[in-house]
Parts: sequence; structure tokens; C-alpha cells
Amino acid sequence: MASEFAIRNLNKVFTSQGKLPVEALRDINLTIADGEFVSIVGASGSGKSTLLRIIDGLETASSGTVHVDGRRVTRPGRDRAMVFQQDSLLPWRTVLDNVAYGLLLGGTPRAEAAATAQRFVDLTGLCGFERHYPHQLSGGMRQRVNVARALAMDPKILLLDEPFASLDAQTREIMQSELLKIWQAQRKTVLFITHQIDEAVYLSDRVIVFSARPGTVREEIPVPFPRPRELSVKRTEQFGRIVDRIWQHIEGEVRRSMGLEARSAA
Amino acid sequence: MSTATEAKSSVYEKIGLGLGQDTWNATLLRNVLSVVLLLVVWDLAARYLVQNRLILVPPIEVLRALIVDARSGEILTHSYATLMEIFVSFPVAVALGVLVGVVLSANRLVSQIAEPLLTAFYSVPMVALAPLFIAWLGLGFGSKFAIILLVAVFPVIITTEVGLRSTDKVYLEAARSFNATPLQIFTTVQFPFALPYIIGGVRVSFARALVGAVVAEFFGAFAGYGFAILAAGQNFNTARLLGYVVLLGLLGMLGSIVLRWVERKMTPWKEEA
Repeated sequence: MASEFAIRNLNKVFTSQGKLPVEALRDINLTIADGEFVSIVGASGSGKSTLLRIIDGLETASSGTVHVDGRRVTRPGRDRAMVFQQDSLLPWRTVLDNVAYGLLLGGTPRAEAAATAQRFVDLTGLCGFERHYPHQLSGGMRQRVNVARALAMDPKILLLDEPFASLDAQTREIMQSELLKIWQAQRKTVLFITHQIDEAVYLSDRVIVFSARPGTVREEIPVPFPRPRELSVKRTEQFGRIVDRIWQHIEGEVRRSMGLEARSAA
Repeated sequence: MSTATEAKSSVYEKIGLGLGQDTWNATLLRNVLSVVLLLVVWDLAARYLVQNRLILVPPIEVLRALIVDARSGEILTHSYATLMEIFVSFPVAVALGVLVGVVLSANRLVSQIAEPLLTAFYSVPMVALAPLFIAWLGLGFGSKFAIILLVAVFPVIITTEVGLRSTDKVYLEAARSFNATPLQIFTTVQFPFALPYIIGGVRVSFARALVGAVVAEFFGAFAGYGFAILAAGQNFNTARLLGYVVLLGLLGMLGSIVLRWVERKMTPWKEEA
């Protein structure tokens, strides 16, 4: 019971002066097992990124709790590491220095941090690019560095916020299977956020479907495919059925939010 | 990299000079080339266009005047005075500018109160205060130090504050996510982000420091390039006057080359920008 990652009765309302409060998340309850790969999908505006930021500690919940290993978390810590959607690598640090960044902040001695960083540079296929600066890399490689930087912290939980959203379709597919390989080797608990249903199904043990405004857990769908998974699993009939089922849940939300936007624009 | 620049640099490469490249050697070569070009135009103008030697003298006569002053030891005296003023005052101005910029960026209220003053001080030609400083601090080093400091400090203050304040939120969040302390956020994110801005301010500041030194010497000094230029002008010695202007130009060029080198060393991630 202690070794679990649990979110209990979590609510988030954004209030800012002179504006109506915005309810982003309502009554979220989630329990994620050790080493489980869970994805959250939902229409834009469903608060999935907000949830991830609360778990990481960048944002505080209005009410409710997040527990990791039985300890309540309220601020960033070494047990969680985030892979950001945007390009958040520090432009003035080389690949190796970016990967070592979190370790150095935490007081790991320079030589040890460099050795650890080198292991994750190798693991993510960046060998030979250690001395490059981020602007010298392609988008796919920059996201590898992003993943390596988070993994180097040896967190218990890896949080990924639409990490492949800005990549082209082919690169994204490759990165998905690479991520699975790394996960297979590292066995972290992963919470992955995406708006791409097939990405969520391919990667996850379980897909959580969020409704929009406020975000609530609408459905939990287990993904039965055995591991390790090949990319070809995406072409099977069963895969298509699961994607369809999730899409039916989301479709209404997307239409609703589009309708809302159309009305407010008129 | 746009196709236009690529096409341009490939034309240079075809000529065989590689002048358009952003390499160290090409930069030096470009500097030499522009000096040679200036000398040629100057010489032609003095030979065929302006015959009045009170107004313009050819470069060779300027060189002769400088050799005379070099033999008498005057160049050394004036160079020592001006270089001392700049090499003491300019680094102090940079250090003070960065420090004030950091303080202003850290405190919004202080910054809001200081902003109108800063804008006023930045746009008023500070050299207008030079006579006052000479009256307060005398003809020696003190008045020069104060004037140079005053003209050179503002560009650094402003670029430091702007650079620190405009730090991309994405990088700050990443640092926070890795549990960085405020000091760590400053040293690993904000300061590196602001560094190219600060160096830009330092370059402007160096040019202003030269102007400050010369103007301060105009208003009263015992030695220095400004002092020598004023004296030569009063004696209608145009060759000597231009000689010291040339020395000032060389100093400015040297400073620009050194600062560019510093910029490359300190911001290697910007090399292809």
C-alpha cells in the first residue's frame, strides 16, 4: 500500500483578479501501480497538463492530495521528473551538461554527474553528440535529450507532457518505440499525456480518458497487448477497436468545446 | 540561415577570400581591409579634392606628426593618461552596471521607481555635465573617472535588467522542476540567458567611454588624447590633430575586436546565430 502513486479527490480552480474563476480539474482519483505505463488523453482544455504540473509540484492543487510512496508531495522533488512539451533544454549547455543539469543542481559531484549523464546519453542514442549545443540538433534529438535529462535523475515517476507533439509523424513513431524500449529497460512508473489516441494506446498499460472543462476522469481503458510491442501492433484490428472506443468518448467533448468556441466567437 | 546569405558567402568563396565567413581570420581581414580603404580615399581626397592643408592633410603627413610626437615622448604621456582613464573607469562601469541591473531586475517596485530616472539619464548627453565635474573634482583623474563612469554605466544597467527580465519562462520552469534554488536559477538560467544582452550593452558602453574620456579632457586636463587634440587645434596643427584622432580610432577598433572575442568565448552557443 505504501509503494503506490495515488491522486485523491483532487480539484483545481484557477482564480485571478478581475476574472471569473476557471475550474480546471474536478474530483480526480487515480491510483497507478509501480512500473505501470499510464496515458491520459482528452480534448484540449481538459486540464491534463495542469494535472501533470500539480503532480510535479509546479502548481498547487486547490484541494485533494498527491501521494508518492505514501508521502504527500506539494513541491518538485527527486522522486518525480518531468519531460516538457516545449523545447526546454538550456541553450547555453551542451547535450551532456543538459543531461547532467538536474544532478548538478542536486549537489552530485561533477565527475559522478558526468558519468551518469553519459550513461543516459548512450541509452537515448545520443552518443557522439555530447558536446553539441541544442540548436545544433534536430527536434527529435532534442526530445531525446529532454527524456535523458529526466531519466538521469533516476526518478520513481516519469511525467511526460505531450513530449512528441512538435515532431513530424515519422519521427514521432520512432520516438514512441524508442521510449518503450527505454521504459522496458528502466521500468519507471510513467504518466504520459497526449492528445493522440493511437500514441496513448500503443504505449500504455491503461488509458485514462478525460472530459473537458472541467477535467474529470471519464473512462479507464486497459490495453491488453503483450510486451514488448512492435509498431506493427498499431495495424491490428483489436488496436483499431480500442482507438475507436476512446475516440467515441472524446468526440463529444471535442465537438462540445468547438461549439462553445464558435458561440463565444460569434 | 537564409538562402540569400548562403548565396552571398558562396560568391565570396569563389573569389577566394572567404571574407564573408564568420571566422576569426575573416573578421581580422575585414578590419584591415576597411582601414586600407579609408587610407586610400583619404589620400586621394587630400591630394586632389581639398588643397587647403588647414582643413585636410594626407595620411603620410599625419604619420610624420605622430612620429615627431613619438620621439618627444608626448604620445606616451597622452596615451598613458587616456588609457588609464578608460581601463580603470570602464571595467568599474561594467561591474557597477551589471550589479545595478541585477538589483533592478530582482525588485519590481525599485525598478518601476528607477525607470523614469534611468530613461532620463540614458538619453541626456552626460558630457553636458563635464564642466561641473571638473569644477568639483579638478583637472586630474577624478573628474575623468566620474564622467566616464556616468556615460558608460547606463547601457549596461539597461541591457542587464532587460536580459534578466526577459528570461524565457520555459527555462525557469524546467529549473524549478529540477528543484533549483533561487540562486541556482539565477546562475544557471537567468544570467546565461541575459549574457548576450549584457555583452551588447558593454559594447555600446565602451564606445561611450571613449567619447566621455575625450570630452572630459576637452574641458580641462593635464594630458590625454582630448587634451592633445584641443592643443593641436588651437595651434592650427591639423596633422597632429588628425594623428590623435587616428589613435582614438585604433583604440576603438581594438576594443571592438577584443569585445567580440570575449563575446565568442563567453557565449559559444550563439556562434551560428
